Amino acid sequence: MEAALEIHDLAVYYGKRRAVEGVSLTVGRGEIVTLLGANGSGKSTTLRAISGLVRPARGRILYDGRDITKTPADRIVAAGVSHVPEGRDVFPEFTVLENLLVGGHTVARGEMDERLEGAFRLFPVLRERRLQLAGTLSGGEQQMLAIARALMTRPRLLLLDEPSLGLAPMLAREIFRTIRTINEDGVAVLLVEQNARRALRLAARGYVLETGRVVVEGTSRRLGEDPRVRSAYLGLAKGAAGPFMNRPA
Amino acid sequence: MTTAALIHVVVSGLATGSIYALMAISLVIIYNATRTLNFAQGEMLMISTFVGWAVYQRLKLPLLGVMLVAVVGAALLAWAIERAIIRHAISATHFDVLIITLGLSLMLRSAAGVAWTHDDFPFPSFFGDRPMAVGPVRLAPVSLGIIGASLALMAALWALFTRTRLGRAMRAVAQNQRAARLMGISVERVYSASWVLAAVVGAIAGVLIAPVIFLSSKMGIVVINGFIAAVLGGFGSMPGAVVGGMLLGVIENLAPLYLPSSIKHSVPFIVLIAILLLRPGGVVGRVARRKV
Repeated sequence: MEAALEIHDLAVYYGKRRAVEGVSLTVGRGEIVTLLGANGSGKSTTLRAISGLVRPARGRILYDGRDITKTPADRIVAAGVSHVPEGRDVFPEFTVLENLLVGGHTVARGEMDERLEGAFRLFPVLRERRLQLAGTLSGGEQQMLAIARALMTRPRLLLLDEPSLGLAPMLAREIFRTIRTINEDGVAVLLVEQNARRALRLAARGYVLETGRVVVEGTSRRLGEDPRVRSAYLGLAKGAAGPFMNRPA
Repeated sequence: MTTAALIHVVVSGLATGSIYALMAISLVIIYNATRTLNFAQGEMLMISTFVGWAVYQRLKLPLLGVMLVAVVGAALLAWAIERAIIRHAISATHFDVLIITLGLSLMLRSAAGVAWTHDDFPFPSFFGDRPMAVGPVRLAPVSLGIIGASLALMAALWALFTRTRLGRAMRAVAQNQRAARLMGISVERVYSASWVLAAVVGAIAGVLIAPVIFLSSKMGIVVINGFIAAVLGGFGSMPGAVVGGMLLGVIENLAPLYLPSSIKHSVPFIVLIAILLLRPGGVVGRVARRKV
């Protein structure tokens, strides 16, 4: 069976800066996979390359077995990949409803009501706030809106970038519960998350990135037991960032 | 000055103001999508009005047909310019695009001169010449016609921007281009659509105003007042563009009554300087002030 997502030897450069340098990973159908790593390790850039926001310098990205490396972002969305970017990026001058409608930009007219209904079922608070401007929502509500908006196209692969960033623990837990619910409907998830403990609890497998390369990969259980992961990302022992690289003194 | 005369002046101010408002809307449509100014907006209006007129001379079309020809001509011209020139420069700095459109405006004006000379031509009007009496007030039908047609066009644009998928996509791109891409919106298609829509609005404004200011290669200069109207309304805001245009038209028509009449052509610039000093965000705007 083909994987939902396969990345081979991906490299992305911003000018001369090498943001991603030879990343390979897979996400199986219906699987949750997490990307861990410090700031600037290339997690967000990897997601941006998948959704077509940045052009890779090298490598291949396959979605459902089809090469989407050079496909424009708008067609990648239509093909079934949704990306919830870091910082949510809701449209602040649109109402909640308008945000959802624009999320369904590629959805057939006749389908729209059903999709809206699905979004409101997942996050009932959005129904109450549907005529409120998105810019006036709280951080947690904006995150719910960003996720609901990304689901309007009924994606089969969801890319989530730091969904719990800046949220109170209770809200973060709620967001994570929702991610599980979404996944139970068969949506594969590639999750970038700064809370490694929570991410590993949710995901089946994970990859650890450091300066644009995969330094460790494996099942969540294995990663959770890896002493280097424990010290660097789970805060279980003292250790400097970048435990996998021999850095010059 | 009698109230009746004052009303007359205000109404004709609202008529020219409507045209400024439409020009401002054209500029804002392109600005919101691409964050650049189209200096050639006035010359595109001029060319499309000439095209309508040329077809009118040949075929004696009814005026509605002339407007349709001007609109289609404008759409094709804008589409071609955007695809052939602007699209390739869009990754350059906004300043480059600005200079390109400035160059385009000069080229279009020269081209019009070659094709149609730089003379003034009378342009047929939709509306009669006989003033209409409303009580003691006498109003020019052309003023009322321009106001009415402009308001109808603005209502249509409002419906486009709030009710249609394309309009929503354009507003989404204006707010956050990256997020718009992630919604499956083709930002490139929105660029195209914005150029075409802006040119169509300009063409309608051109056909409406040509009977008043005459058809000539110089009529594109109206873009400057459109620009001032947009600044007055807070650049980027559509309702602001409408309010700014109307306000500018009325001020420009009232000023000569109280000040030396030769001041009329300086009025827009005085208004511009005043607004930039006193309310840089525009009268209804919300644009943040640049910190210095």
